[in-house]
Amino acid sequence: MGLETDNDLIDQQGPGFIITSVDKLVNWARTGSMWPVTFGLACCAVEMMHAGASRYDTDRFGVFFRPSPRQSDVMIVAGTLVNKMAPALRKVYDQMAEPKWVISMGSCANGGGYYHHSYSVVRGCDQIIPVDIYVPGCPPTSEALINGIIELQEKIKKEESIANG
Amino acid sequence: MDRQSDTKAIEELLQQYDIEVSINQSNAEIKVSHERLIEVSTLLKNNLSFEILMDVIAVDYLTYGDVDWKTNNATSTGYSRAVKPTIIPDIDETFKDRFAVFYQLLSVSNNQRLTMKVFTTESNPPSVPSLVDIWSSADWFEREAFDLMGIHFDGHPDLRRILTDYGFIGHPFRKDFPTNGNLEVVYDEEKEEVVYQPVSISTRPGVPRVIRDRND
Repeated sequence: MGLETDNDLIDQQGPGFIITSVDKLVNWARTGSMWPVTFGLACCAVEMMHAGASRYDTDRFGVFFRPSPRQSDVMIVAGTLVNKMAPALRKVYDQMAEPKWVISMGSCANGGGYYHHSYSVVRGCDQIIPVDIYVPGCPPTSEALINGIIELQEKIKKEESIANG
Repeated sequence: MDRQSDTKAIEELLQQYDIEVSINQSNAEIKVSHERLIEVSTLLKNNLSFEILMDVIAVDYLTYGDVDWKTNNATSTGYSRAVKPTIIPDIDETFKDRFAVFYQLLSVSNNQRLTMKVFTTESNPPSVPSLVDIWSSADWFEREAFDLMGIHFDGHPDLRRILTDYGFIGHPFRKDFPTNGNLEVVYDEEKEEVVYQPVSISTRPGVPRVIRDRND
Protein backbone atom coordinates (compact mmCIF):
# COMPACT_ATOMS: atom_id res chain seq x y z
CA MET A 1 0.00 0.00 0.00
CA GLY A 2 2.95 2.29 0.48
CA LEU A 3 1.84 3.16 3.97
CA GLU A 4 4.39 2.76 6.72
CA THR A 5 4.08 2.87 10.42
CA ASP A 6 6.78 4.55 12.45
CA ASN A 7 7.17 2.63 15.66
CA ASP A 8 9.12 5.41 17.34
CA LEU A 9 6.35 7.88 16.67
CA ILE A 10 3.72 5.45 17.91
CA ASP A 11 5.78 4.91 21.03
CA GLN A 12 5.98 8.66 21.70
CA GLN A 13 2.44 9.67 20.77
CA GLY A 14 0.50 6.48 21.35
CA PRO A 15 -1.35 4.45 18.70
CA GLY A 16 -3.46 6.06 15.96
CA PHE A 17 -0.78 7.64 13.77
CA ILE A 18 0.37 6.50 10.35
CA ILE A 19 2.92 8.49 8.46
CA THR A 20 3.71 8.28 4.75
CA SER A 21 4.92 10.44 1.91
CA VAL A 22 2.32 12.38 -0.09
CA ASP A 23 3.51 10.65 -3.27
CA LYS A 24 2.89 7.24 -1.83
CA LEU A 25 -0.52 8.23 -0.53
CA VAL A 26 -1.55 9.67 -3.89
CA ASN A 27 -0.24 6.64 -5.78
CA TRP A 28 -2.01 4.30 -3.37
CA ALA A 29 -5.27 6.12 -4.03
CA ARG A 30 -4.71 6.03 -7.79
CA THR A 31 -3.88 2.35 -7.96
CA GLY A 32 -6.87 1.55 -5.79
CA SER A 33 -9.43 2.93 -8.22
CA MET A 34 -8.33 2.67 -11.82
CA TRP A 35 -11.46 3.11 -13.85
CA PRO A 36 -10.87 2.01 -17.44
CA VAL A 37 -12.69 3.42 -20.43
CA THR A 38 -13.62 0.39 -22.48
CA PHE A 39 -12.29 0.49 -26.01
CA GLY A 40 -13.31 -2.95 -27.15
CA LEU A 41 -12.55 -3.25 -30.86
CA ALA A 42 -12.52 -6.99 -31.57
CA CYS A 43 -12.35 -10.45 -29.96
CA CYS A 44 -9.97 -9.17 -27.23
CA ALA A 45 -12.94 -7.25 -25.89
CA VAL A 46 -14.62 -10.55 -25.01
CA GLU A 47 -11.64 -11.50 -22.82
CA MET A 48 -11.79 -8.04 -21.30
CA MET A 49 -15.46 -8.63 -20.49
CA HIS A 50 -14.57 -11.94 -18.86
CA ALA A 51 -11.98 -10.15 -16.74
CA GLY A 52 -14.64 -7.70 -15.64
CA ALA A 53 -17.33 -10.29 -15.01
CA SER A 54 -17.97 -12.34 -11.88
CA ARG A 55 -15.33 -15.04 -12.33
CA TYR A 56 -12.23 -12.82 -12.45
CA ASP A 57 -13.95 -9.70 -11.12
CA THR A 58 -11.58 -6.77 -11.63
CA ASP A 59 -13.73 -4.90 -9.13
CA ARG A 60 -11.42 -6.52 -6.54
CA PHE A 61 -8.70 -4.16 -7.74
CA GLY A 62 -11.01 -1.18 -7.89
CA VAL A 63 -11.09 -1.57 -11.66
CA PHE A 64 -14.56 -0.61 -12.68
CA PHE A 65 -15.48 -0.11 -16.34
CA ARG A 66 -16.85 3.27 -17.27
CA PRO A 67 -18.61 4.13 -20.51
CA SER A 68 -17.30 7.70 -20.45
CA PRO A 69 -13.71 8.92 -20.98
CA ARG A 70 -14.40 11.87 -18.68
CA GLN A 71 -14.65 9.55 -15.67
CA SER A 72 -11.77 7.26 -16.59
CA ASP A 73 -8.11 6.90 -15.62
CA VAL A 74 -7.09 4.02 -17.86
CA MET A 75 -7.86 3.13 -21.45
CA ILE A 76 -7.76 -0.55 -22.39
CA VAL A 77 -7.35 -0.80 -26.16
CA ALA A 78 -8.70 -4.28 -26.77
CA GLY A 79 -8.56 -5.33 -30.40
CA THR A 80 -7.63 -4.37 -33.95
CA LEU A 81 -7.30 -0.64 -34.46
CA VAL A 82 -8.19 0.25 -38.05
CA ASN A 83 -7.36 3.46 -39.87
CA LYS A 84 -10.98 4.56 -39.83
CA MET A 85 -11.17 4.20 -36.03
CA ALA A 86 -7.81 5.88 -35.26
CA PRO A 87 -9.06 9.51 -35.07
CA ALA A 88 -11.92 8.39 -32.81
CA LEU A 89 -9.50 6.55 -30.51
CA ARG A 90 -7.30 9.64 -30.22
CA LYS A 91 -10.34 11.82 -29.52
CA VAL A 92 -11.50 9.56 -26.70
CA TYR A 93 -7.96 9.52 -25.28
CA ASP A 94 -7.78 13.33 -25.41
CA GLN A 95 -11.08 13.55 -23.55
CA MET A 96 -9.74 11.59 -20.57
CA ALA A 97 -8.71 13.62 -17.55
CA GLU A 98 -5.08 13.62 -16.38
CA PRO A 99 -3.47 11.53 -15.04
CA LYS A 100 -4.21 8.82 -17.60
CA TRP A 101 -2.69 5.52 -18.63
CA VAL A 102 -3.12 3.14 -21.54
CA ILE A 103 -3.07 -0.66 -21.61
CA SER A 104 -2.62 -2.11 -25.10
CA MET A 105 -4.25 -5.53 -25.15
CA GLY A 106 -3.44 -8.20 -27.72
CA SER A 107 -1.21 -8.57 -30.78
CA CYS A 108 -3.26 -6.28 -33.01
CA ALA A 109 -3.18 -3.34 -30.59
CA ASN A 110 0.49 -3.99 -29.78
CA GLY A 111 1.79 -3.95 -33.34
CA GLY A 112 -0.84 -4.78 -35.91
CA GLY A 113 -0.47 -8.51 -35.23
CA TYR A 114 -2.12 -10.74 -37.78
CA TYR A 115 -3.14 -7.68 -39.81
CA HIS A 116 0.28 -6.00 -39.79
CA HIS A 117 0.48 -6.02 -43.61
CA SER A 118 -3.08 -4.88 -44.18
CA TYR A 119 -4.05 -1.75 -46.06
CA SER A 120 -6.53 -0.69 -43.40
CA VAL A 121 -4.99 -1.50 -40.00
CA VAL A 122 -2.84 0.71 -37.75
CA ARG A 123 0.45 -1.08 -37.03
CA GLY A 124 0.16 -0.74 -33.27
CA CYS A 125 -2.03 1.63 -31.30
CA ASP A 126 1.19 3.32 -30.02
CA GLN A 127 1.24 5.05 -33.42
CA ILE A 128 -1.77 7.00 -32.20
CA ILE A 129 -1.56 7.19 -28.37
CA PRO A 130 1.23 6.66 -25.79
CA VAL A 131 1.04 3.17 -24.27
CA ASP A 132 2.07 2.19 -20.72
CA ILE A 133 1.55 -1.58 -20.67
CA TYR A 134 1.55 -4.07 -23.54
CA VAL A 135 -0.33 -7.31 -22.89
CA PRO A 136 0.74 -9.99 -25.43
CA GLY A 137 -1.53 -12.73 -26.74
CA CYS A 138 -4.07 -13.39 -29.45
CA PRO A 139 -6.25 -12.84 -27.59
CA PRO A 140 -4.61 -12.57 -24.15
CA THR A 141 -6.44 -14.53 -21.49
CA SER A 142 -8.38 -12.70 -18.81
CA GLU A 143 -5.61 -13.66 -16.38
CA ALA A 144 -3.07 -12.00 -18.68
CA LEU A 145 -5.10 -8.81 -18.75
CA ILE A 146 -5.37 -8.84 -14.97
CA ASN A 147 -1.61 -9.32 -14.82
CA GLY A 148 -1.30 -6.29 -17.07
CA ILE A 149 -3.50 -4.29 -14.71
CA ILE A 150 -1.35 -5.32 -11.73
CA GLU A 151 1.79 -4.39 -13.67
CA LEU A 152 0.27 -0.98 -14.34
CA GLN A 153 -0.44 -0.62 -10.62
CA GLU A 154 3.21 -1.39 -9.91
CA LYS A 155 4.22 1.20 -12.48
CA ILE A 156 1.97 3.86 -10.97
CA LYS A 157 3.38 3.14 -7.50
CA LYS A 158 6.83 4.19 -8.77
CA GLU A 159 5.61 7.55 -10.06
CA GLU A 160 6.67 10.73 -8.30
CA SER A 161 3.89 13.10 -9.19
CA ILE A 162 4.61 15.70 -6.46
CA ALA A 163 8.34 15.94 -7.19
CA ASN A 164 7.61 16.40 -10.89
CA GLY A 165 5.23 19.23 -10.08
CA MET B 1 -40.18 -31.41 -55.33
CA ASP B 2 -36.76 -32.76 -56.18
CA ARG B 3 -33.97 -30.65 -57.53
CA GLN B 4 -33.91 -32.21 -60.98
CA SER B 5 -37.43 -31.12 -61.87
CA ASP B 6 -36.66 -27.68 -60.45
CA THR B 7 -33.76 -27.31 -62.86
CA LYS B 8 -36.16 -28.20 -65.64
CA ALA B 9 -38.44 -25.38 -64.60
CA ILE B 10 -35.54 -22.93 -64.78
CA GLU B 11 -34.47 -24.30 -68.16
CA GLU B 12 -37.97 -23.95 -69.55
CA LEU B 13 -38.28 -20.42 -68.26
CA LEU B 14 -34.94 -19.29 -69.64
CA GLN B 15 -35.17 -21.16 -72.96
CA GLN B 16 -36.15 -17.97 -74.80
CA TYR B 17 -32.84 -16.33 -73.76
CA ASP B 18 -30.72 -19.33 -74.78
CA ILE B 19 -29.37 -19.68 -71.22
CA GLU B 20 -28.08 -23.07 -70.14
CA VAL B 21 -28.42 -24.35 -66.60
CA SER B 22 -25.39 -26.15 -65.18
CA ILE B 23 -25.13 -27.98 -61.87
CA ASN B 24 -22.41 -27.01 -59.42
CA GLN B 25 -22.28 -28.71 -56.01
CA SER B 26 -25.87 -29.90 -56.65
CA ASN B 27 -27.04 -26.33 -57.08
CA ALA B 28 -28.18 -24.72 -60.30
CA GLU B 29 -25.96 -22.11 -61.94
CA ILE B 30 -26.69 -19.85 -64.87
CA LYS B 31 -24.65 -17.33 -66.83
CA VAL B 32 -26.47 -14.16 -67.79
CA SER B 33 -25.31 -11.21 -69.89
CA HIS B 34 -25.46 -7.83 -68.17
CA GLU B 35 -27.92 -6.53 -70.78
CA ARG B 36 -30.50 -9.13 -69.77
CA LEU B 37 -29.83 -9.19 -66.03
CA ILE B 38 -32.87 -7.13 -64.99
CA GLU B 39 -35.19 -9.05 -67.30
CA VAL B 40 -34.01 -12.49 -66.17
CA SER B 41 -33.99 -11.52 -62.49
CA THR B 42 -37.55 -10.26 -62.66
CA LEU B 43 -38.65 -13.52 -64.30
CA LEU B 44 -36.84 -15.63 -61.71
CA LYS B 45 -38.43 -13.75 -58.86
CA ASN B 46 -41.97 -13.59 -60.23
CA ASN B 47 -42.27 -16.94 -62.02
CA LEU B 48 -39.98 -19.23 -60.00
CA SER B 49 -40.39 -17.46 -56.65
CA PHE B 50 -36.72 -16.78 -55.88
CA GLU B 51 -37.77 -14.41 -53.13
CA ILE B 52 -34.41 -13.78 -51.48
CA LEU B 53 -31.08 -12.47 -52.73
CA MET B 54 -28.70 -14.06 -50.23
CA ASP B 55 -25.42 -12.54 -51.35
CA VAL B 56 -23.63 -10.61 -54.07
CA ILE B 57 -20.05 -11.64 -54.83
CA ALA B 58 -17.59 -9.79 -57.05
CA VAL B 59 -14.63 -11.59 -58.60
CA ASP B 60 -11.47 -10.16 -60.19
CA TYR B 61 -10.11 -12.51 -62.87
CA LEU B 62 -6.93 -10.48 -63.51
CA THR B 63 -4.44 -13.13 -62.39
CA TYR B 64 -6.80 -16.08 -62.71
CA GLY B 65 -4.72 -19.21 -63.40
CA ASP B 66 -1.44 -17.24 -63.58
CA VAL B 67 0.04 -18.07 -60.18
CA ASP B 68 2.29 -21.10 -60.13
CA TRP B 69 1.04 -23.49 -57.48
CA LYS B 70 3.30 -26.40 -58.44
CA THR B 71 4.96 -27.20 -55.15
CA ASN B 72 6.28 -30.72 -55.67
CA ASN B 73 9.93 -29.76 -55.07
CA ALA B 74 9.09 -27.61 -52.07
CA THR B 75 10.29 -30.14 -49.54
CA SER B 76 13.81 -30.28 -50.96
CA THR B 77 14.25 -26.52 -50.89
CA GLY B 78 12.93 -26.11 -47.37
CA TYR B 79 11.43 -23.19 -45.54
CA SER B 80 13.18 -20.48 -47.55
CA ARG B 81 11.06 -21.23 -50.58
CA ALA B 82 8.59 -18.55 -51.40
CA VAL B 83 6.66 -18.07 -54.60
CA LYS B 84 7.94 -14.99 -56.38
CA PRO B 85 5.46 -12.14 -56.23
CA THR B 86 3.49 -12.10 -59.44
CA ILE B 87 4.10 -9.06 -61.55
CA ILE B 88 0.71 -7.47 -61.92
CA PRO B 89 0.10 -6.30 -65.48
CA ASP B 90 -0.60 -2.65 -66.11
CA ILE B 91 -4.18 -1.61 -65.83
CA ASP B 92 -5.89 -1.77 -69.19
CA GLU B 93 -8.28 0.89 -70.25
CA THR B 94 -10.85 -1.80 -70.86
CA PHE B 95 -11.80 -4.62 -68.55
CA LYS B 96 -12.45 -7.45 -70.95
CA ASP B 97 -13.42 -10.64 -69.08
CA ARG B 98 -11.98 -9.26 -65.87
CA PHE B 99 -14.78 -8.65 -63.40
CA ALA B 100 -17.75 -10.89 -62.72
CA VAL B 101 -20.59 -10.57 -60.25
CA PHE B 102 -22.26 -13.61 -58.71
CA TYR B 103 -25.76 -13.46 -57.29
CA GLN B 104 -26.87 -16.14 -54.84
CA LEU B 105 -30.63 -16.57 -54.97
CA LEU B 106 -32.79 -18.57 -52.59
CA SER B 107 -36.32 -19.75 -53.06
CA VAL B 108 -37.80 -20.57 -49.67
CA SER B 109 -41.05 -21.88 -51.11
CA ASN B 110 -39.25 -24.30 -53.49
CA ASN B 111 -36.30 -25.04 -51.20
CA GLN B 112 -33.88 -24.24 -54.00
CA ARG B 113 -30.82 -22.12 -54.62
CA LEU B 114 -29.55 -20.58 -57.84
CA THR B 115 -26.31 -18.83 -58.74
CA MET B 116 -26.33 -16.15 -61.41
CA LYS B 117 -22.99 -15.25 -62.96
CA VAL B 118 -22.74 -11.94 -64.77
CA PHE B 119 -19.67 -10.41 -66.41
CA THR B 120 -19.46 -6.63 -66.17
CA THR B 121 -19.22 -4.24 -69.08
CA GLU B 122 -15.75 -3.77 -70.54
CA SER B 123 -15.88 -0.02 -69.98
CA ASN B 124 -13.98 1.85 -67.26
CA PRO B 125 -15.47 1.79 -64.64
CA PRO B 126 -16.93 -1.70 -65.12
CA SER B 127 -20.65 -1.77 -64.50
CA VAL B 128 -23.71 -3.97 -64.23
CA PRO B 129 -27.33 -2.97 -63.68
CA SER B 130 -28.42 -2.64 -60.05
CA LEU B 131 -30.93 -5.14 -58.67
CA VAL B 132 -32.09 -2.96 -55.78
CA ASP B 133 -35.52 -2.50 -57.36
CA ILE B 134 -36.02 -6.28 -57.52
CA TRP B 135 -34.37 -7.43 -54.27
CA SER B 136 -33.88 -4.59 -51.79
CA SER B 137 -31.18 -6.63 -49.98
CA ALA B 138 -28.94 -5.86 -52.94
CA ASP B 139 -28.48 -2.31 -51.61
CA TRP B 140 -25.60 -2.84 -49.16
CA PHE B 141 -24.19 -5.87 -51.03
CA GLU B 142 -23.73 -3.70 -54.12
CA ARG B 143 -22.24 -0.89 -52.07
CA GLU B 144 -19.71 -3.37 -50.68
CA ALA B 145 -18.84 -4.68 -54.15
CA PHE B 146 -18.43 -1.10 -55.35
CA ASP B 147 -16.25 -0.19 -52.38
CA LEU B 148 -13.88 -3.16 -52.58
CA MET B 149 -13.90 -3.98 -56.32
CA GLY B 150 -14.89 -0.71 -57.96
CA ILE B 151 -17.81 -2.16 -59.87
CA HIS B 152 -20.52 0.39 -60.62
CA PHE B 153 -24.12 -0.70 -60.27
CA ASP B 154 -26.20 1.39 -62.66
CA GLY B 155 -29.41 2.61 -61.09
CA HIS B 156 -28.32 2.12 -57.47
CA PRO B 157 -29.98 4.83 -55.35
CA ASP B 158 -26.99 5.49 -53.04
CA LEU B 159 -23.73 4.04 -54.35
CA ARG B 160 -21.29 5.13 -51.62
CA ARG B 161 -18.36 3.37 -50.00
CA ILE B 162 -19.50 1.25 -47.06
CA LEU B 163 -16.42 -0.24 -45.34
CA THR B 164 -13.17 1.54 -46.13
CA ASP B 165 -11.87 4.74 -44.52
CA TYR B 166 -13.38 8.14 -45.25
CA GLY B 167 -11.68 9.53 -48.36
CA PHE B 168 -10.10 6.17 -49.22
CA ILE B 169 -8.63 6.00 -52.72
CA GLY B 170 -8.67 2.77 -54.73
CA HIS B 171 -10.50 -0.52 -54.48
CA PRO B 172 -8.56 -2.88 -52.17
CA PHE B 173 -9.88 -6.23 -53.41
CA ARG B 174 -8.67 -5.64 -56.96
CA LYS B 175 -5.67 -7.79 -57.79
CA ASP B 176 -3.58 -4.77 -58.79
CA PHE B 177 -4.09 -3.04 -55.42
CA PRO B 178 -1.02 -3.34 -53.15
CA THR B 179 -1.78 -5.44 -50.05
CA ASN B 180 -0.05 -2.93 -47.79
CA GLY B 181 -2.13 -0.09 -49.16
CA ASN B 182 -0.80 3.35 -50.01
CA LEU B 183 -1.39 5.33 -46.80
CA GLU B 184 -1.06 4.70 -43.08
CA VAL B 185 -2.16 6.80 -40.12
CA VAL B 186 0.01 8.20 -37.30
CA TYR B 187 -0.47 10.85 -34.63
CA ASP B 188 1.28 14.12 -35.37
CA GLU B 189 2.50 15.65 -32.09
CA GLU B 190 2.86 19.15 -33.58
CA LYS B 191 -0.46 19.32 -35.37
CA GLU B 192 -2.08 17.42 -32.48
CA GLU B 193 -4.17 15.31 -34.82
CA VAL B 194 -4.11 11.96 -36.57
CA VAL B 195 -2.54 12.39 -40.02
CA TYR B 196 -1.98 10.23 -43.11
CA GLN B 197 1.47 9.43 -44.45
CA PRO B 198 2.81 7.14 -47.19
CA VAL B 199 2.98 3.52 -46.07
CA SER B 200 6.30 2.66 -44.38
CA ILE B 201 6.51 -1.13 -44.85
CA SER B 202 7.28 -3.10 -47.99
CA THR B 203 5.23 -5.81 -49.65
CA ARG B 204 5.94 -9.49 -49.21
CA PRO B 205 4.69 -12.55 -51.06
CA GLY B 206 1.29 -13.49 -49.77
CA VAL B 207 1.42 -17.22 -50.42
CA PRO B 208 2.28 -20.14 -48.14
CA ARG B 209 6.01 -20.75 -47.74
CA VAL B 210 5.92 -24.53 -47.82
CA ILE B 211 3.35 -26.90 -49.19
CA ARG B 212 4.39 -30.50 -48.63
CA ASP B 213 3.36 -33.65 -50.38
CA ARG B 214 1.13 -36.10 -48.60
CA ASN B 215 3.85 -38.76 -48.41
CA ASP B 216 6.14 -36.71 -46.12
